[in-house]
Amino acid sequence: MLKKHPIVTFIFFGFILFLISNRLDELRVYQGATVAIYAIGVASLILLIGYSGQVSLGHGALLAIGGYAAALARIYYEAPIWLTFVVAVLAAAIGGALLGLAAARLSGPYLAGTTLALAIGLPSIANQFPILGGEQGIIFDIGLPPTSLGEDFTQYKWFFWISWTVALITLYWLRNVLNSRYGRGWRAVRSNDVAAELAGLHVGRNKVLAFTISAGLAGLAGALLAMTINLASPGVFPLALSFSLATGAVLSGVTTLGGIMIGSVTLVAIPEIALAIANRYGSETITTNLPGLLVSALLILTVLFVPNGPVEQMHAKRAKKGHSSHSPVEISVRVGHKTWSTKK
Amino acid sequence: MNQFLDMVLIGISAASIYSLMAISMVLVWRSTRVVNFAQAGMALLSAYIGYELVARIGNFWIALPLAMILGAAFSAFIEFVLMRTLQKHSTQGAIAAIAPIIATLGLLGLIRAGIGFIWGHGDVQIQAPLSKVGFKFGDTTIIMNPMSLFVLLFVIALMIIVSIVFQKTNIGLALRASAYAPEIAQLAGIRVSGIRTLGWAIAGAAGAAAGILQTVSGTGSLTPESLEFSLLLVFGFIAAVIGGLESLPGAVLGALILGLVLAAVQIYIGGALVFIVAFLLLLLVLIVRPQGFLGSKAGRRA
Amino acid sequence: MIRINRRKLITTSAVLAIAALTVATVPAQALNPSMGSDPGVTASTIKLGITSPLTGIASPGYSKIPGAMKAYFDYVNTNGGVNGRKITLVSKDDQYIPTTAVAKANELILRDKVFALVGTLGTASTKALTASTQLSKRGIPSLFVNTGWSGFADKKAYPTTFSILPSYQMEAKIMAKYVKETYAGKKIALIYQDDDFGRDALAGFKTAGLTFTTTIGYASGSQALPATGAGWISKLKAAGTDVTVFFGVTSAATAALANAYGAGYKTQWVLSSVSGDATAVAAANPAYVPLLFGAKGFSFAPAPTDTTDEYIKLFQGIYAAAQPKLTFDNNVVAGMSNAFLVVQALKAAGPNLTRKGLISAIETKGSTFANPFLTPLGYSTTSHSGANGYWVGTFGPTGMLTPDGGKYTVYSTDSGTGPVELSTYKRPAMPAKGL
Repeated sequence: MLKKHPIVTFIFFGFILFLISNRLDELRVYQGATVAIYAIGVASLILLIGYSGQVSLGHGALLAIGGYAAALARIYYEAPIWLTFVVAVLAAAIGGALLGLAAARLSGPYLAGTTLALAIGLPSIANQFPILGGEQGIIFDIGLPPTSLGEDFTQYKWFFWISWTVALITLYWLRNVLNSRYGRGWRAVRSNDVAAELAGLHVGRNKVLAFTISAGLAGLAGALLAMTINLASPGVFPLALSFSLATGAVLSGVTTLGGIMIGSVTLVAIPEIALAIANRYGSETITTNLPGLLVSALLILTVLFVPNGPVEQMHAKRAKKGHSSHSPVEISVRVGHKTWSTKK
Repeated sequence: MNQFLDMVLIGISAASIYSLMAISMVLVWRSTRVVNFAQAGMALLSAYIGYELVARIGNFWIALPLAMILGAAFSAFIEFVLMRTLQKHSTQGAIAAIAPIIATLGLLGLIRAGIGFIWGHGDVQIQAPLSKVGFKFGDTTIIMNPMSLFVLLFVIALMIIVSIVFQKTNIGLALRASAYAPEIAQLAGIRVSGIRTLGWAIAGAAGAAAGILQTVSGTGSLTPESLEFSLLLVFGFIAAVIGGLESLPGAVLGALILGLVLAAVQIYIGGALVFIVAFLLLLLVLIVRPQGFLGSKAGRRA
Repeated sequence: MIRINRRKLITTSAVLAIAALTVATVPAQALNPSMGSDPGVTASTIKLGITSPLTGIASPGYSKIPGAMKAYFDYVNTNGGVNGRKITLVSKDDQYIPTTAVAKANELILRDKVFALVGTLGTASTKALTASTQLSKRGIPSLFVNTGWSGFADKKAYPTTFSILPSYQMEAKIMAKYVKETYAGKKIALIYQDDDFGRDALAGFKTAGLTFTTTIGYASGSQALPATGAGWISKLKAAGTDVTVFFGVTSAATAALANAYGAGYKTQWVLSSVSGDATAVAAANPAYVPLLFGAKGFSFAPAPTDTTDEYIKLFQGIYAAAQPKLTFDNNVVAGMSNAFLVVQALKAAGPNLTRKGLISAIETKGSTFANPFLTPLGYSTTSHSGANGYWVGTFGPTGMLTPDGGKYTVYSTDSGTGPVELSTYKRPAMPAKGL
């Protein structure tokens, strides 16, 4: 159904979420909003890592740019909510473009290390400019839900609706982009950039574009995150956030959007599960250490045994048996006696 | 003039610590072409082991080499279990480039949680074995003390030993060959996988030294979330990149440059800019001379 | 054999998501804030919640506070409770990270359904959780927050939040007056943390007219780098500084003291209350505590070693019985004083306990509450400000702060441009048995 009528699927999913939001208690609604935000953040990394083959360990910094931009737009220009999100996307996209330009010549660990350094250095940047509110940050208040929704419509439910509407639209859009020639272009460059260049793709531009779009998405997630916390501050975008998103991307399967819910839900569910376990044993040490332990163990196991994510794994199993639902772009180039091929 | 001397001494002291971490990262890179982001975590674990050893044996000078050996063993173990399995399962697709990175990140989390579980979250301390009061010349005290002098000499000694091993011995040759041309090395009869483990082991020893020496040079306290170790990782990485990820002398040179620049910023400009300057330095090197000061142009990309 | 295809996979993902969201939830209607009695209160119990750093970078010292509060609450419970109700304290660990503080506050409010929050720690965390959980809209009191940011005293911005500590500006102004009078004519340097916390103090120093020959700012976190502390000392030496004022966090102060010692550099240290936390220093490394000897420090509660003080005697007795293995120090005093004030507030709110009632009780009667502090409390219908003064003391060789001149000379001021004056406040006698 998704392939044939993607819009219908998304709307259907949205409708289900709408129904759920009325039945859940506030804590779950709040967590549900967080899942949506993670979904967008993880999607941005899937684009960057899975499709374009570039690693960012500091995506939290791009979320921060989006969050701060949205907050500033709200405070100084009293921008309506949708406009703050647009500002967030643009600001983060510009940041991503700059980063992408610098990073186009880097690969693998260099890129990873540089983005890591950025994420760690972010708080001190925030401290240098008083307008960014320093350690305490600046308030991002999107206001109360409209009165037309009723007296009992809580703020958290409002966050949930906004986050999921944005998430669904974004994921739908991203899915289309990834299935378009841009997506194919990224995959080609990732598999073999020499062959791609020979085939006429401009590698540098390709990579920067991926970074820019990924950053824009990250900025959007950052604005939504700041919305739910009511605050944009360095503490809202810690290093752990960058790591969480990378984890979510790997758990979902970096190469495809299909499993995105798996990663996003896991990120939110793990602390809950850990809390439940810890409560049963009633030990302080377990409560503090278990979430980190579970996430890290899950991450390592996934990378070791299901490295391409559960979705790809199933595709691979099927492909082995002779079924195939898509034909990847293959480019083979022969120069003299050497052959480069994108087929792996 | 006095301030300049201070700056140089401070820069050199800081550089010796960064260089240990940088050496460790370069070693891992050269033997397996992976940047180990868990390096700091492993250094942290080694530091805790060092704490245990000092607490039980009571002698720092025995505990240090012992901790280095244990650090080497742990590092080799990680390479054997984690990295090799990784190689087997994920040599293709997008994940190939980042799988090791993500795995080492996961490892970092595991180590932190494990440390928190075993030793708790309160601070533990390793007291410095040497005095931290500066040397006196007449009635001026300079900003170098027995402890920092030891660290400096230690680094120099380690550099010399490692360089000799790499350049003059068969094992060193095997290490270099396995990194650059594994297939050829294998054809020449070198057990490449064993050599890789050895590379990680040496790196683990260096990392352990970095962790312990940094702790005793600082306040002496350790916690699982020690900020010092996250900074050690980033600054070690920056130092390694500045010098050239391929080159061991480069690691030391890079650390020296980083240490001096940061000390200069501290003293002459203002401590608030330290992180920004470090990041800009990294960017500058990556844009202008990506192979680092002592690296060669070829073979820089991952 | 199930034919797995993409459609099924997406549907599976969707189902998974839905299932995960609804699993283990009590299907409930949206929160109805206006109906029924306040959560957290029954005829025989009151439930309070606190989120603070029990682990993580800020935890040394502060991690003792919830335990100390609980010790006092238990004492009150064994003596009949407050208006017949026993107090339970739910304590959560936020590791000094604002997003975690928000999550924990949500748990306290939505899952544990506490009556009020008490003693949340850290400016950024408190700001974040107050805004995000909409404490004011829900009318949830946030009593006696453990931070010196003056903004929380503003009733309009934070209608349900009450400060307890003097603000950083107050502290800076008082430090300035002390330094100007005691060290007139000497070269005075300042080391401060370059963020809101430290800049608040800068503003206070400026208002009080204290100028420094050398000003050194450091980026928060950079004190963990090897070169930082040494760099400060080098600068101080070069300027020939006599007195160094320090307004930063304890780990930075420790780095400063250690490096000064290592460089053989002598200066008169004047440490702010946060920097001069001997417990935090001891928790980091006991070997550094002697370095505090001779430094000047500030506090507004009685010294923990002062057994002539009736509150200290009482607290020592209670804590020794509750936590015999832990040392009694300034953080324990802080926690128990906080708890003491909470109980006074609950009592004043009367047997018909509501959130609104609690807030107005503090506003109308708070300034007359019995409390261990040596300065008056500033609670009123227009201000939620707590203590407003400090006394100066000197650190002894074991890190204990004792008042100069053998008695508490308290100076008080405001967070604005008001003058610093010698306080004539006489602390009211402790109620019988400290209840």
